[in-house]
Amino acid sequence: MSTTRIRRLTAVILLLAALALGVVALSACGSGDAAATTDASPSAGPITVSDDTGATVTLDQPAQKVVSIAPADTEIAYAIGGGSKMVGGTTYDDYPEEAKSLAKVGDFSNPSVEKIVSLEPDLVLAAGGIQAGLRSKLEKLGMQVFVVDPTTYDGVMEDITKLGQLMGLDANAAKVVDGMTTAKEKVQARVASLDRPATFIEVYSKPLMTAGKGTFIDDLVTLAGGSNIGAEAGAGFLNFSSEVLVKDDPAIYVAMAGSQSTPGAIAKRPGYSGLAAVKDSKVYVVEDNLIARPGPRLAQGLEQLAAMIHPEASPAP
Amino acid sequence: MTSRARRIGRLGIALAVAIFAACLLLSLALGPVSLSPAKLVGYLTAGPGAGGPGNTIFWDIRLPRVLLAFIVGASLSVAGVILQDLFLNPLTDPYVTGVSSGAALGATFGIVLHLAPLPWMTLLALAGGFATLGAVWVVARRRGRIDIYVLLLAGVTISYFVTAVISVLMIRAGQDMDAIIYWLLGSFNGRSWPEVEVALFALPFLAVPLFFTREMNILLQGEKRALELGVDVERAKRVLLFTAAALTAIAVSVSGVIGFVGLVVPHIVRLMVGPGHQPVLPIALLGGAAMMGIADLLSRTMVAPSELPVGVVTTFVGAPLFVYLLRRRRSGS
Repeated sequence: MSTTRIRRLTAVILLLAALALGVVALSACGSGDAAATTDASPSAGPITVSDDTGATVTLDQPAQKVVSIAPADTEIAYAIGGGSKMVGGTTYDDYPEEAKSLAKVGDFSNPSVEKIVSLEPDLVLAAGGIQAGLRSKLEKLGMQVFVVDPTTYDGVMEDITKLGQLMGLDANAAKVVDGMTTAKEKVQARVASLDRPATFIEVYSKPLMTAGKGTFIDDLVTLAGGSNIGAEAGAGFLNFSSEVLVKDDPAIYVAMAGSQSTPGAIAKRPGYSGLAAVKDSKVYVVEDNLIARPGPRLAQGLEQLAAMIHPEASPAP
Repeated sequence: MTSRARRIGRLGIALAVAIFAACLLLSLALGPVSLSPAKLVGYLTAGPGAGGPGNTIFWDIRLPRVLLAFIVGASLSVAGVILQDLFLNPLTDPYVTGVSSGAALGATFGIVLHLAPLPWMTLLALAGGFATLGAVWVVARRRGRIDIYVLLLAGVTISYFVTAVISVLMIRAGQDMDAIIYWLLGSFNGRSWPEVEVALFALPFLAVPLFFTREMNILLQGEKRALELGVDVERAKRVLLFTAAALTAIAVSVSGVIGFVGLVVPHIVRLMVGPGHQPVLPIALLGGAAMMGIADLLSRTMVAPSELPVGVVTTFVGAPLFVYLLRRRRSGS
């Protein structure tokens, strides 16, 4: 008796659950359907890639209207020839020049969801970190979000390839990736047999901050033939003890331009006069966006870093 | 003052001097790169610029940083004592006058305009602090006297207003936003002799309230009573307020906004020795210095070679200590 009752109850619950699921599925599709049926190309199957968060992004056809809320993603999109498909960006977009005139959806840390929706993109390009919370919001509104959040040079190239697929620009993306691969291989061939001088990357000066493990700045320093002092402090972007800096005595000192320092000012800082990098005039300032932005210009950043760390093995600029 | 209170006061001062000295020694000896006492003596006798990384670390990095932390800690703590007593409000800290927000606004301008930290950012911070004090002062002045309650409310309100301006600047600052956030968090990392030179201007202000202990004790009973007892209330208020504001502005301009020391150290000292200002002021001065010194020591050693923000450490150290003292006192009385 009781077993039949339980069975009946289960059946009812399952039925209700199925019904609820159906309703949810219907309502979720409802908004997307209209757009999808207007110009679905039957020949091309859906494009599916997984992004740096592990989430799967599926598009029925290559994206035609793209909003980027991360300047690195904007650079990639333009580099692979997707500029004409861009319909929106942020106030942080400064490269290439055309990106500056994109419709603005806000700034990097606080883009306006309403503004993004109004542009009706079929693909939104985002970054990780502070933009993580935005993803679910945008997805609930029926948008596909591709997150570019790589931690290595190779990871950036993978993301460029994937974005090429999503935007239907595979061949262009392959060209960009080839260029980056060539740059990397050239640098690596030059520095392979050389010593790895202790290199310090200054992300900010007060407090002294550096890039630790798991950042692509660390990856770039290693690729460029240096040994990143910041890696000993841990992962991510970190405060760093000036005392340990003096003890570790970097041979190369590279400040990011965002740190608002000049080589002359850095050399004059208290405690710095004895550093090997200061004595040998190996204090440099590098443009942030070349080494901190996971985009195609990392190749230039890598070449610049290699020239700073191993000038003896680098071609004259 | 009873003889018992006097004895407690003297004991307290002796204890504070001992703690201060111990903290100073510990702060100088310990760090991510440890310097043995024998080496310390060597560096001290060799003097600065004798060469070698150990000597550089001691003279150019550690010593100025420790001195700065001690001066800032003492300044915030003394400012806290003054303001808590003037406002007769236990929740008061040096930042309620709006001076710190003003200083932060000045520094934010410095960052946005890409001015070098010294002297421009520090000068702007000082100017911002004093400009805010001026504004609060004007609001609170009525017929030649300063209304302490209006001053408190004006300070808090202007502080909110200025903070809102900073937020707008931060949002507009784009990539400089991080720099502003780091400045607001407060830190002694990267500070050295130039900042110490600025902080030295706090020393005379630290001494000022010591000459006003009688007035401060009487003011605790209210302004009316103080007037009846023949205290020149307005003069005492003017001098003390300006002193507290100057201490705060100087501290904030060299280290950013470091919380909790100015709120909690005065309370801890009063819980231990009672409200009389003769012992409270010097003990708070020494105690604030020692607490900031230890907090900075922990901030540079706990996760070495990385560092923790010092404001986080002051709160982690100060909050449990304060709660413990509150509980102990309640069960004791």
